[in-house]
Amino acid sequence: MASRILVVEDDERIRSSMRLALEAEGYEIDEAASGEEALELFSEHPADVVLIDLMLPGMDGFECCRALRRQSAVPIIIVTARADTHDVVAGLEAGADDYVTKPFVTKELGARIRALLRRVRPVDEQPTVLAFGDLELVPEEGVLRHAGEGGEVHCTKTEFRLLCELASSPNKVLSREQLLDRVWGYDYFGDGRLVDVHIRRLRTKIEPDPALPRHILTVRGMGYKLVP
Amino acid sequence: MTFALGALVLSASMGALSYFTTRHFLVGERESTAVHDAVVNAIYVSQNIAAQTTDIVQILTTADKITPNSNSHSLLEERGSVWYERTFSVTQSEIPASLRSLVLRRGTPGSQTYTFDGRTQIAVGIPIKSVQGAYFEIFDVSELGHTLRVLALAIFGAGAVTTLLGAVLGRWASGRSLRPLTGVSRAAVAISEGDLGTRLVSAAGDPDLAALTSSFNRMVDQLQERIEREARFTSDVSHELRSPLTTLAASLEVLEAQASSLSPTGRRALELLSADVRRFQRMVGDLLEISRSDSGAAEVSLEEVDPGELVRQAVAAAQRSLPPDVPAPPVEVDPAVAGTHLWVDKRRFERVISNLLENASLYGGGATLVRVAPGDVVAADGRSVLVSVEDAGPGLAPTERTKVFERFYRGHTAFQRGTGTGTGLGLALVAEHVRLHGGHVWAEESGSGGARFTVELPGHLAETDDEHELSPGGIEA
Repeated sequence: MASRILVVEDDERIRSSMRLALEAEGYEIDEAASGEEALELFSEHPADVVLIDLMLPGMDGFECCRALRRQSAVPIIIVTARADTHDVVAGLEAGADDYVTKPFVTKELGARIRALLRRVRPVDEQPTVLAFGDLELVPEEGVLRHAGEGGEVHCTKTEFRLLCELASSPNKVLSREQLLDRVWGYDYFGDGRLVDVHIRRLRTKIEPDPALPRHILTVRGMGYKLVP
Repeated sequence: MTFALGALVLSASMGALSYFTTRHFLVGERESTAVHDAVVNAIYVSQNIAAQTTDIVQILTTADKITPNSNSHSLLEERGSVWYERTFSVTQSEIPASLRSLVLRRGTPGSQTYTFDGRTQIAVGIPIKSVQGAYFEIFDVSELGHTLRVLALAIFGAGAVTTLLGAVLGRWASGRSLRPLTGVSRAAVAISEGDLGTRLVSAAGDPDLAALTSSFNRMVDQLQERIEREARFTSDVSHELRSPLTTLAASLEVLEAQASSLSPTGRRALELLSADVRRFQRMVGDLLEISRSDSGAAEVSLEEVDPGELVRQAVAAAQRSLPPDVPAPPVEVDPAVAGTHLWVDKRRFERVISNLLENASLYGGGATLVRVAPGDVVAADGRSVLVSVEDAGPGLAPTERTKVFERFYRGHTAFQRGTGTGTGLGLALVAEHVRLHGGHVWAEESGSGGARFTVELPGHLAETDDEHELSPGGIEA
């Protein structure tokens, strides 16, 4: 079954052209002209990926992103003016998984969507349960829970995959390039801020004190590593 | 300096003036005292001679004692030849001839200040008719000379101190009065370097300075407003172009996917269209990038990287966006660069390399070598790194070497390949990106006569101990 993409964009012509281009890639498209409409549509027909333009009339892209995130772990890609603005980091912090800059090439957008839809890559001889601290990670079930009482920790697909990459090679430093490549499918020149913001978000979910992390550690000039 | 010279001239002339005034006054004073004493004595002497009470020497001795305050000697000349004197310490030869002739021949009293045997003396002569001679009194005023010497010394000392003080004061005062100008020139330099937020702090107290400050600030306000308006306009235009361009690009890709079902003419038209839409897309992207940079809104997110790895990856990435028939240039990394790291915004650096490779491919027949080598700029924490891209094209005329970095500069197009052209902003953006990294870029002739573009970036020594420093926020910084 084809993946469903919700396009949130106020410019009707861009929406139409994106529908044409993405349908040509084999996706099913839902269109929303505003944030409010997008939330309504999403609760009726949950999409597999949501594309949000940051500049929307009424509820802006950031708010739409946060509202969607409150109800779903769906992968979100934000469409932004420039890659070097605060918009990118603010959008990622609002819960987005990735971004594209306008005017974008549909092929590139397609690659971003495919990377987000990809399932967690099965690693050879990977144990079915990865444990660190009092947390258990079950990659095949897509579940992260506390070992004791079994309460589930909610995180997005991207956060989950990032955690799986770190947890499957404990105590080993993974560079931002490696993480970008494995989780987002970027080459050497992917935006390191993607990794940084997601690590920050993961810490608030799994670290007792996110300011003094015990499990996900920063290795200066090298990258990140997970210490069980 | 001028101030010190002024102080010197002033204190010297003031000193000289006060010395001569004082000298004139003191000598005059002493002379009138001497004349007064001598007149008193002369009257006493002439009365006693007339009375013929005692001998003349006795009279003279008494006369000297009447005015005990002065160190004086009396002499009496009788009938033009006979001299009487109290002591032998003073002789008539000490009396200046001019004074003697004035008193004896003309019968007029007179006085004269002169130097005899190193001593300053005042001689006063008064004719005494009863003896057909004259009474002379010589006053030794050496102590006056001494006083004057002390005075001269004091004035000289005061002059020296004044000059010195003048120099110090002048320096301080000129520094103080020029300080606002130093501020103005510093602000002007900052503004010309692009820091449009610079303003002068308004000077309280000095109305002239306050006027200068406010008009300077007003000028910069207007300049800033104008520059920002222009940058905003470029940015707005580019933003407005993006929406139709997004539609164009997306629709074009749909068409391209179905190109096989088009007629040959339709396919050719589609090729032309897509090539220029792509170029247009890049141009709008470049314009936005440049306008952000112009308005000072460019953000740089720096990462620490190994220069060799960075350049190899950048060349590989840039190669993907060039036509497939352009061969990849070899990347040569000087071993001396090992251990030096760079702080770069990878996205921007990739654009630097891809723009340089694109430029080489468009105008130089393709890049022949990309080289990473240590630079000449040595800082406390390491030396700079040079990244150069060479081509085997016709090279650049010396006059073109700075112009190529200007926006929309088009050089000779003889070697231009194919129909595709650049955006005209490629090298301007290279310069802009490199500037944001604190580096610079220049063009020169390569060893083989082609062009060589070299980027110099500040480097630093890599930490040898990489594993141990664990800081939660370090890498995000």
